[in-house]
Amino acid sequence: MSGGLMFSRHTRHLWIAFFLIASGAAGGAFVRSQLVPSDFGELGPYRTVAIAKNAALPMVHQSDQTCIKCHTDVHEARAESPHQAVACRHCHGHGAQHVAEATRAAENPGSPITPAQEWDGSFGTSVDLFVTKDRATCLACHTSVVGMPESFRSINVAAHLEEQGAENVNAKDVCFECHDGHSPGL
Amino acid sequence: MDGSSFVFPNDVHPPWSIMIVLYPYITGLVAGAFVVSALYHVFHQEVLRPVAKLALVTALCFCACATMPLLLHLHHPERAFNIMITPSATSAMSGFGVIYNLYMLLLVVEVWLVFRPEIIAESQSATGLKKVLFKVLALGDSQVTPESREVDERLIYRLAIIGIPAACVLHGYVGFLFGAVKANPWWSTALMPIIFLASAVLSGIAGLLVLYHFLCWRNQVTPDRDCVRAMGRYLWISLIVAVTLEGLELIHMAYEAGAEWHVLSQLLTQKLAFSYGVIQVLLGSVCPFLLLALAMSSRLKDRTALWLNSIAAVLVLVQVFAMRWNVVVGGQMFSRSFRGFVHYPLHIGGREGLIAGGIVLLLPLAVLWVALNLLPVKLTNTPESLPTES
Amino acid sequence: MSGLLNILNNGGSCGSGDSSSHACGSGGSCGSCHDDSSASRREFLAQASTMMLGGFSLSLLPMKPDGAGAGGSTEEVMYGFLVDTERCIGAGKCLTACRTENNVPEGYARTWVERFVHYKDGRVEVDLVPETGYEGSGVPEIDPETVDRAYFVPKLCNQCTDAPCNQVCPVHASFKSPEGVELVDPDTCIGCAYCVQACPYGVRFINPDTGNADKCTWCYHRIVKNEQPACVEACPVNARVFGRLDDPNSEIRQRLAKVPTSVLKEYLGTHPRLHYIGLPQEVT
Repeated sequence: MSGGLMFSRHTRHLWIAFFLIASGAAGGAFVRSQLVPSDFGELGPYRTVAIAKNAALPMVHQSDQTCIKCHTDVHEARAESPHQAVACRHCHGHGAQHVAEATRAAENPGSPITPAQEWDGSFGTSVDLFVTKDRATCLACHTSVVGMPESFRSINVAAHLEEQGAENVNAKDVCFECHDGHSPGL
Repeated sequence: MDGSSFVFPNDVHPPWSIMIVLYPYITGLVAGAFVVSALYHVFHQEVLRPVAKLALVTALCFCACATMPLLLHLHHPERAFNIMITPSATSAMSGFGVIYNLYMLLLVVEVWLVFRPEIIAESQSATGLKKVLFKVLALGDSQVTPESREVDERLIYRLAIIGIPAACVLHGYVGFLFGAVKANPWWSTALMPIIFLASAVLSGIAGLLVLYHFLCWRNQVTPDRDCVRAMGRYLWISLIVAVTLEGLELIHMAYEAGAEWHVLSQLLTQKLAFSYGVIQVLLGSVCPFLLLALAMSSRLKDRTALWLNSIAAVLVLVQVFAMRWNVVVGGQMFSRSFRGFVHYPLHIGGREGLIAGGIVLLLPLAVLWVALNLLPVKLTNTPESLPTES
Repeated sequence: MSGLLNILNNGGSCGSGDSSSHACGSGGSCGSCHDDSSASRREFLAQASTMMLGGFSLSLLPMKPDGAGAGGSTEEVMYGFLVDTERCIGAGKCLTACRTENNVPEGYARTWVERFVHYKDGRVEVDLVPETGYEGSGVPEIDPETVDRAYFVPKLCNQCTDAPCNQVCPVHASFKSPEGVELVDPDTCIGCAYCVQACPYGVRFINPDTGNADKCTWCYHRIVKNEQPACVEACPVNARVFGRLDDPNSEIRQRLAKVPTSVLKEYLGTHPRLHYIGLPQEVT
């Protein structure tokens, strides 16, 4: 392209177009730079606040550590038991209300603690606290299912009860005639 | 697969809908149409002159609508711009921001340069809003000087040259998006970008052929005989290339018969038997192959050849859609447990339903209709009476 | 040009991919870092191409501040997970615990337990452990006489060192915390589901309530408080072990050292931090 043509009225439209594109690109790049979150890239290619957001989600399940603060006897009974790893709530409910009440009672002696309720048979969060000796809580894990490792003490209920000579095979608390929940033994 | 089928619980919900079928279909038409215009502008295939301009406008209109299916697919379309604000260099998908924008820019400039004489003429003669629009596009010029046209022509040529690799990148990246998913043996092949590219070119030529035939009929112009026949030949060759690659991929998978072939073979023979075997291969590949070969016979009447080519082109468009469908949907029809198949739900309504899909497919055609009303393109092979010729 | 300087000065290019919690000061040189691993090269390439992708404006990105910054831990923490398929009894306690703890919508799962049953006639059938366990679930009982062997396989996020889900996220909404936990930024995820496609383990899903990608985080909100993940805490037979890989005395390190373990889909090169004891090869 001859120098004369390069900057002439014949190429004016191209220069205008070039200017428009260049300023559009620069403007876009500027807007983009303003939109990059200020904490992006501090620890890595992400927003630092996203870590805090994930960490701040509410903790729903309390661990057994909360329970054994008061129920030290159970903790000791379970220490050497095969049920050592069984979370308290599997057989007693999640106990959120109970923990709140017990904490309050520790600070204000005499503050009421709701007694344990009847278990409704569900393993959800419907009943706060139950201590019912119900074989369903045992059988939830111990009913023999194809796939269980041989090392696990699973039973065929009917056969087991017959073998052990249980008297009232239909009783809810039949398991507890021989076994202690916290330290089931043999 | 032995015994019963087992599907991972989350695999029950295939996350990519018909919108993800449409996105590569539309961008494929863009890339393919651009290649046709490049055949004229770069490789001087004068015989394609009647469709060269149409090809560019078509590419632009489809490109302008290519984001629609993506936005409809995103669960957070309001955050779509994050793809340009904090793009990830390791994600094929975030390549979209750069590749799409650059390609769109290139198309806009190319179309603007090609149509500058018409734009300036309209800026003088038109009235009302149209005049305002063309005044803006004319960038203050009131006439096209032969010197300026000469510079323009050189720039058009160069942009067309850049546009070819750009079109390849645009569609290559779409193929890579699938081909680089190692979790999915139906997608994970290095051939995927090439297959997408080949079928993109295929769909572009076919789309233009159908469009040209339609516009000639609509405007009562006799379609250019040589142009149609040349397009038919290009279509035939592209079809051979695309189908060869697609077949090669399958044969390769089947011959190697890797760990997951037992799933893929069932996918093909059961789940995709109709959409792959009948639609993509028989109806979409074999039929147009024969029709196009027949249309090449010089003993045929022009009208017969035109219709043969057009029907073949429609079938090819179906083939390419089926290919996208079989890749995107097929890849979600089996679980990553490789032990079971997933029911692929097809919704009619809703944001990602068939109706929305149909609208997405018609939208670029509507835009094209508006564009062609603003900037009519000549459909005959008469050299342009431009100052360039003087 | 300042973009390139930024990259050269960025502490991130010194820390190798998964232990990036140690930081170099932003202004100072990285002379003390002599990490020439492929991870740091990969990171450099990634950053260099980000610069190209993002254009020159990327040089305006904030540079790494002194220290590790707010929220991140300065000490090296690396979590690991061990699943003992030889202990799992298919009670399903982990499943309800996870759903409640993480508010996982019905029909989706952050964790699940598969049962593989090898029949005497050669069939291998797989089913999902019901969330209440098999007892009373209505799942037909299998006659043990027809079965050669059967076992349970709990599944959850593999927290891959080279996570494909992280790699494909177009907006950096999927990210790895300094402790190696793959998380999702709830405010920047665009819900494209590319990560869902990329996960070889089917762990991710689009949460219909939030529209974001959702996944098992090993209960990040619990483990940062030194609690166990909900599924681990719920497991009555210690089939799930969670702990710190950086602590040589942790149970997980002890067990990983003593028994042969394997990972899922090792051939994909994702390098999971979820390890299995007794994982038969037919498990995918």
